[in-house]
Amino acid sequence: MSHAGRSGGRTARVVVVGAGMVGHRFVDELSRLAPDVDITLLGEEPYQPYSRVLLTELIAGRVDLAGLSLPTTDGSRVRMELGVAVIEIDRERRCVVTTQGEHPYDHLVLATGARGRIPLLPGLRDGLPRGAHVLRTLDDARDISAGALNVDHAVVVGSGPLGVELACGLRRRGVAVTVLSSAPHLLDRALDPGAGRIAQGAAEGLGIEVVSAVQIAAVGVSDGRVTAVRLRDGVSYPAGLVVLAAGTTPETGLARAAGLETNVGIVVGDGLRTTLDRRIAAIGDCAETPAGISGLVAPGWAQARALARSIALDVPVELPAVSGSAMSLKAAGLSVVTMGDRSTTAHEGDRVVSLADPQVHRHVELVTRGDTLAGFTCVGAPELAAHLSTQFDRPGLLPEDPLHLLAGSGSARPPAASPTAMPAATTVCRCNGVTKGDLVAAWDEGSTTVDSLAAATAATTGCGGCRELVCGLVDWLERSDPHAASQSAPTTRETSVPTG
Amino acid sequence: MTDTHCPYCALQCAQTLSEGDADTLVAVPRAFPTNVNGMCQKGWTSTELLTVRDRLTVPLRRTVDGDFVEVGWDEALDDIAARVRAVRESAGPDGVAVFGGGGLTNEKAYQLGKFARLALRTRLIDYNGRFCMSSAAAAANRTLGVDRGLPFPLTDLNDADVVVLFGSNLADTMPPAVQHLGGVRSRGGLVVVDPRRSATARLTDDGAGEHVQLVPGTDLVLVLGLLHVVFAESLVDTGYLADRVDGVDAVRRSVAEWWPERVAATTGVSETQVRRMARLLADASPHRGGGGAFLLTGRGSEQHTDGTDTVTAVIDLALALGLVGAERGGYGAITGQGNGQGGREHGQKSDQLPGYRMIADPAAREHVAAVWGVRPDQIPGPGVPAVELLASLGTPDGPRALFVHGSNIVVSAPDAGAVRRRLESLDLVVVCDIVPSETAMLADYVLPVTQWAEEDGTMTSLEGRVLRRRQAVRAPAGVRSELEIFADLARRLEAPGTWATEPREVFDELRRASAGGRADYAGISYDRLDAGEALHWPCPTDDHPGTPRLFADSFPTPSGRASMVAVRQTGPAEVVSADAPVWLVTGRVLQHYQSGAQTRRVAKLNGSMPRAYVEIHPALAQRIGVEGVDEISITSVRGSMRAQARISPDIRPDTVFVPFHFADEGLVNAVTLAAVDPVSGMPEFKVCAVSVARTRT
Repeated sequence: MSHAGRSGGRTARVVVVGAGMVGHRFVDELSRLAPDVDITLLGEEPYQPYSRVLLTELIAGRVDLAGLSLPTTDGSRVRMELGVAVIEIDRERRCVVTTQGEHPYDHLVLATGARGRIPLLPGLRDGLPRGAHVLRTLDDARDISAGALNVDHAVVVGSGPLGVELACGLRRRGVAVTVLSSAPHLLDRALDPGAGRIAQGAAEGLGIEVVSAVQIAAVGVSDGRVTAVRLRDGVSYPAGLVVLAAGTTPETGLARAAGLETNVGIVVGDGLRTTLDRRIAAIGDCAETPAGISGLVAPGWAQARALARSIALDVPVELPAVSGSAMSLKAAGLSVVTMGDRSTTAHEGDRVVSLADPQVHRHVELVTRGDTLAGFTCVGAPELAAHLSTQFDRPGLLPEDPLHLLAGSGSARPPAASPTAMPAATTVCRCNGVTKGDLVAAWDEGSTTVDSLAAATAATTGCGGCRELVCGLVDWLERSDPHAASQSAPTTRETSVPTG
Repeated sequence: MTDTHCPYCALQCAQTLSEGDADTLVAVPRAFPTNVNGMCQKGWTSTELLTVRDRLTVPLRRTVDGDFVEVGWDEALDDIAARVRAVRESAGPDGVAVFGGGGLTNEKAYQLGKFARLALRTRLIDYNGRFCMSSAAAAANRTLGVDRGLPFPLTDLNDADVVVLFGSNLADTMPPAVQHLGGVRSRGGLVVVDPRRSATARLTDDGAGEHVQLVPGTDLVLVLGLLHVVFAESLVDTGYLADRVDGVDAVRRSVAEWWPERVAATTGVSETQVRRMARLLADASPHRGGGGAFLLTGRGSEQHTDGTDTVTAVIDLALALGLVGAERGGYGAITGQGNGQGGREHGQKSDQLPGYRMIADPAAREHVAAVWGVRPDQIPGPGVPAVELLASLGTPDGPRALFVHGSNIVVSAPDAGAVRRRLESLDLVVVCDIVPSETAMLADYVLPVTQWAEEDGTMTSLEGRVLRRRQAVRAPAGVRSELEIFADLARRLEAPGTWATEPREVFDELRRASAGGRADYAGISYDRLDAGEALHWPCPTDDHPGTPRLFADSFPTPSGRASMVAVRQTGPAEVVSADAPVWLVTGRVLQHYQSGAQTRRVAKLNGSMPRAYVEIHPALAQRIGVEGVDEISITSVRGSMRAQARISPDIRPDTVFVPFHFADEGLVNAVTLAAVDPVSGMPEFKVCAVSVARTRT
């Protein structure tokens, strides 16, 4: 029996507010770890839990709707209420009140996430006009996809990962896309300026217009529909579709109303419990931990797992140490992967190796610290990025010269074996361990055809893969020794050995 | 001239044995579908096994001083029987355990299971197939309803557009099989998933296909990523899934979390390669007009604590693409040991009776008891799988005695140092073998038995085809068949039932015992095999043609439908750390078979590969100061080994590879760990965390 199941001699009740990826993961983990806990999952959207991070892929048409659904939780163990709004948390009575009813709890987990930030701009102040969207929910993604069918031009406001993925997705649908951003360059939180410029070049190569370091003055609206985005300098970008990807705001309203400590997010300690009420925890995008707000799914999942273990097994929350940030763009045609430190965040004494190859929109940068890869940036180098991800933060593995890391795990292929150049000890037939020397000796003994060499040495009689090479050897021997079949004495022949 | 099959791997190359010069026997390959006309150097040199210098020909008994003395058969068997009785009186029938092998003929494997249950009366029998096929078997059973390594003839691969090998190095393990990849290579469709650029991975060079060089222990994540793409991009065969498969939605949901970029960070395989591989597979699938695709697993993807789940995911993928039971395409496991297939069908497994019957099933017990001439309650219940069995030896509640047949566990089992200590703690160890293997040297009794060319019997190859092994020479004087030993001991132990010693009679009993089971041999006879019929099980009646291809119309499940099963990633049991920063993977070389007990005694094979080696990437070698052929020590918390470096860019820089065929200081299983798959009991041979260092001299 788990710890959580012993609460007051009856089955412990755990209520989770928020059925996004992190809330779902928490419920999934807890239901496995603590089979005797009574779990309620409350979701605001009317849909089964889905993979929110794939919404831009949905817009790009690289995932269909069914491909977003997350695993079902055990229906006999987890009560799920979807499409319900939580009205308040009654901490006195330990009870969550929704539009549908009440849910008493022993443990309450807030996984309310964040909402897309809407800039305070003329045109957006009275709610979003038609054609303007944030991208947070499945409905948002559907609206954006539908909107993309009817417009020629779209503007994406913001050049963080969401903005870039969105722009690539819309471009893949054939829409002309302009990215407007106040940031100095694309993905500026993850990339240094040099890498950012190359990423920008790659985006432009896909046909996306990127306009950085600009101040947006207003969103033009006519008849309740967006028409354009205007900059402070007066330039105007016409757009039938405007998507705001200008950051998110943690959903803290419920927590604040319940008297819990909030700052940017809901303030929690190392144990993910709120500072004022140990029975209430917060995880995911709404939680402000001592290390900050994660904003990414991987750390949110790590929090979900750690909290589930803590509640089920009565152990302290153990979060994996996170060193630096990690970002991996999901966008067709634009590969950007970063982990850990980069040149502007590198420590004193670190080595920074970088390679810029703007012509093909490629930029690679490594940060090494002692015998460890402490960070990397890969733009336009997905194979290398995948390899470096597996070498990151692994003491003892770094090659002495970090430059060698740039070669990835692959290796240059040796040229195809030539019968003339190979040394006598080279194995020709692997299956039967026959060397070139063995075959030459058999030739000298009078086996001067492929078949007779096979009979004499067993070469070619395994998988047959060396047959071509043996044929080549026979050709070479015939050229250098045309009368061998009629002679019995060994002859000499030239073997050229490549140098260097 | 005797037509038989090679003594080694599951390809069972057809060979003809004939008299050579000076009373020796010569083996040459024979035309046959699987090996065509090929044979590797193990096959060509196989007859040397008959004349090895230290061939056992006399029973040996260990003395109090630890030496061996020769004893007569009657004396040995009388004493063994008496000591078995003594253990049984003090510790009960489960005080005696049996460990079998996947190299035994069907007849010997069957009779060993019966001997354990009726003569020793123990439930504790398992075998080294647990280290071989168990994860693939468990996965196939839970998805497709039956486990037959390849549920189609090997020659079907010739016509496919794509063949994916998940963790198989068949260019080294069964070289003649490579001939069947020629077609797919010419179409650029061979995909090899392996942390090493093995001999098999090299077959993908020059446009023949793709090598996917993933991080050890991440096979499952790669397959989840492939499933993600085929579902996300609507590449699945929806008609097939609707008609023939259950559980689709749960699998679709389970892979929503494994988008390719996330897969890349875990596996080291880029998202572009994941997508490319998924589309290659989809385009080869029949529902999209392709020429067929085969997904094959080997030990590289199976020998993990998540091995059953990994193979399950591979089968899920094959089902999603509508490949299983299609005219061209399917899933298969490449069986390793010579009779790895038949050896797992007839009662060596801890929970099974002949014909793949489950020992806990009352109907199965009743059927087999009737064939054996006993009451169902005289058959003990299920035992425990190999690793658990070995770990229990000599413990306070564990067995006190062990019989070992066709296995060299102190070399081949994981955490081999612990296995040796367990064996040393027993009251009685009886090893039947042809040579003084490392395990035999620890026995109280070593009984010399017949081998391959000295005996008749049947073997079931990797494609479920039953083959005749035929006697070519008389065994050396003093050597007995295990069938005789079982009969002699059964009589001494007053076992019920009859104990035939002729292979043909045992096979006829096996046919009756398997009748109606999933692996039904009832219609297969020596006469039909000797007449040249190609018989794949199931073959229920004398006039049944056998079943080369399974699943064409339905699956052998209660509903007739296959089940997709959703699985979760768990990762290796041991992860790299600052103290053990390098992954160790183990595997095979072309010259040796299994623990090397046979092949290390064949001069040509041992001459070209006499010792273990450590394959290491130049970058890692440089970091630990290793050059050229320096010796490397590999250490885990369990033990260490050492061998010469073989510096090669073919291995990942975070991984070392060591072949496992060697003993003494080259014993890599002293380092591996005994963590097992929770479903199959398969140990995690294929990944553990180690430190590597240049050996100080």
